[in-house]
Amino acid sequence: MGVYTATALISVVVVLALELLWWRTGILTTWRYWLAMAIVLGFQVPVDGWLTKLSDPIVLYAEGDMTGVRAPWDIPIEDFAFGFGMVTLAMALWVRESRRETA
Amino acid sequence: MDQGQYLLLMAGCLAITLPLELLLGARVWRRPKRLLRTIVPLVVVYSIWDAAMIARGSWDYSDRYTTGILLPFAVPLEEVVFFIVIPICGLLTLEAVGSVLHALGRLRDGVPLGTVLRELPAGVPERERQPA
Repeated sequence: MGVYTATALISVVVVLALELLWWRTGILTTWRYWLAMAIVLGFQVPVDGWLTKLSDPIVLYAEGDMTGVRAPWDIPIEDFAFGFGMVTLAMALWVRESRRETA
Repeated sequence: MDQGQYLLLMAGCLAITLPLELLLGARVWRRPKRLLRTIVPLVVVYSIWDAAMIARGSWDYSDRYTTGILLPFAVPLEEVVFFIVIPICGLLTLEAVGSVLHALGRLRDGVPLGTVLRELPAGVPERERQPA
């Protein structure tokens, strides 16, 4: 547990709170959101895996700022919270913009 | 060439998701204004987080595989590209999944397969678009 672990978890909570309490696009209750997120997750593994592989890393992490758990391959598990929050934010903002356009 | 590796990876992500726009009617690139209004706030927020983590030393970037071009607060160019590219890939996926689900619904309604496939690149018709 470290700063990255904590901020990654907080980012997910903040994004979910923005969606559920403020924007209320309803995206979290749709099939297309969860199917899309599953596909995104599937592609995160090779891309993130390439960036973080310990044999020849592009991104280097301070192990003290995270749990140190890396899976699959050498991906810090915090990256999955980071990615989930970021992509969910993008999708919620996108749908919110569409509502504004049609409003 | 090595120094462009991170950027090449991002270019690959854009290339691999382009068929979602062209063949599955995602209509993300074709809505530049909406795309801009979605991406700009996200890039700002995530760049601030990134800058803070870089300043703290939580993570760093390989000199060998990045261009070395630094934006304000020592944020590598590649990181901002990442905050633009990956959300766009996510949006393309969301919309393409929506198109495919819509097409499956049309098949269930008895619309001929040929018609459904021919109309797939156009995506979900505007009048049938659900807000979420």
